Amino acid sequence: MKSFAVLSIIGCCYLFSNNTPFPFQIPKGFPPPVYRFSNNPRTKQGLFLGRKLFYDGKLSKDGNFPCSSCHQQFAAFATYEHRLSHGFNNQFSFRNAPGLFNLAWEKELNWDGGINHIEVQPLAPLLDPHEMAEDLNQVIARLRKDKLYPSLFNQAFGSSVINSERILKALTQFTASLVSADSKYDQMKRGTAHFNKYEQTGYEIFQQKCARCHQEPLFTDFSYRNTGIEIDSTLKDYGRMRITGRKEDSIKFRVPSLRNVFLTFPYGHDGRFATISELLQHYNSGIV
Amino acid sequence: MTSFRKSEAESTLVIHFKVYVHGEPLQLNKKYKNPFGETYEISRFRFYVGKIEPVYTDSGQKANHASSYHLIDISDSSSTVIEFPAAKGTCNGIQFLLGIDSVDQNNGAKSGSLDPIKGMFWTWNSGYQSFKMEGISPLSDQPSHVIAYHIGGYRYPYSTVWKIKMNTTNDEVFRITKEYKIIIEVPVELDYFFDGATPLRIKEISACTTPGKLARKISENFIGSFTGLTLTSNP
Repeated sequence: MKSFAVLSIIGCCYLFSNNTPFPFQIPKGFPPPVYRFSNNPRTKQGLFLGRKLFYDGKLSKDGNFPCSSCHQQFAAFATYEHRLSHGFNNQFSFRNAPGLFNLAWEKELNWDGGINHIEVQPLAPLLDPHEMAEDLNQVIARLRKDKLYPSLFNQAFGSSVINSERILKALTQFTASLVSADSKYDQMKRGTAHFNKYEQTGYEIFQQKCARCHQEPLFTDFSYRNTGIEIDSTLKDYGRMRITGRKEDSIKFRVPSLRNVFLTFPYGHDGRFATISELLQHYNSGIV
Repeated sequence: MTSFRKSEAESTLVIHFKVYVHGEPLQLNKKYKNPFGETYEISRFRFYVGKIEPVYTDSGQKANHASSYHLIDISDSSSTVIEFPAAKGTCNGIQFLLGIDSVDQNNGAKSGSLDPIKGMFWTWNSGYQSFKMEGISPLSDQPSHVIAYHIGGYRYPYSTVWKIKMNTTNDEVFRITKEYKIIIEVPVELDYFFDGATPLRIKEISACTTPGKLARKISENFIGSFTGLTLTSNP
């Protein structure tokens, strides 16, 4: 009888348990990540909360624009088939939504590197009047009034306090957990798959012609480069120069990773290249 | 934010930041003239200070505490007074940071005075502004004649974050003891802000809202508006 009571208590604890540690695994062959969850230890409850927030329209002004409206899972968390994404009140975003994966390895985020830490990244789309267009105080008030969120915050952080720091840290538990490390390339590297003749030839050409910027295994060197594109006269986007104020950074944009590349079209900071062929054509003959 | 436990060797230091125009305390939404004769009124005035420490004259005596960051907001008088424990000793000034240093600028999501809901955080070009002054002036050619100096940026060479060391007037020495509560007033005079190293004429510069060379220059004017410390003590 006594042991039965103990068992049932354990059962309850498991159901309503808080802070179940869920350490982040670094994929074999990957460098150490920039973000190590050190001030934000990853837990099952934190990750669950972050995932719920990511998919919840309550974070946007009119309820229609959760993070996932522009970062669609089936498009490697980019916006499928859209040059620019749609935001509040029939507006377009300023840039092409990047796929979200391997963000834990990014020291700076965005096409211009203007965001200096993954935890503060969500503030940009959240407060942007063209995107989610919301006020941070409104989001906090809405979540506090919600039936579920206070208990989810309690499970994730040990109290039901809801503030911007906790919202951002929970979102980061989710976004930093999106890892791309099991493509055919990764399997080939691990010796569990083999490239066929065409894949092997492509890989060799890639290593000669592309890998300087698109460095393995993350397929980017995280630098900002001018690839000889023209300024779009409506967007007037000068890229990295917008952040540094330096002339030499004019029209430089972040080298994007080539992981999931067939899902993240159209390409370029403003989505001007519809297909991979167009992009290759640009490098072959279109550079200004 | 950080809280301190007082030990026997410590006493309390009170720092009061006060903003003046022509030597009178600044009132929000009141018409003033700057030294160039330009009319203006201020509706919002906020700045960050942090890591405040007394400067000890006895060599070897080091500050064992520095305060965390505080957002001074002129619309909230309680925010202008900062009280924190300090080690006993003889001092002739204080030092503090104006703005948020690069380590804390780069450290992810924060709460307390660094919570982005305080309206001092830039989202598309991450970083905390060092200070923010908003208002109106008929001389401004901005929409609705607003003036907006949102001064931030922490990267070389355009950092707007300064370590300020100020001595007491006439190098007057004060002792931090258990018996007295030392109150230090840090005055900021806006006449010096406008008529500073870079003359800030509203007709020419009515807004600065991005990091860069101009923000850096305006931040130099701002630190130039910090004048001498004055001391009082309460038993």
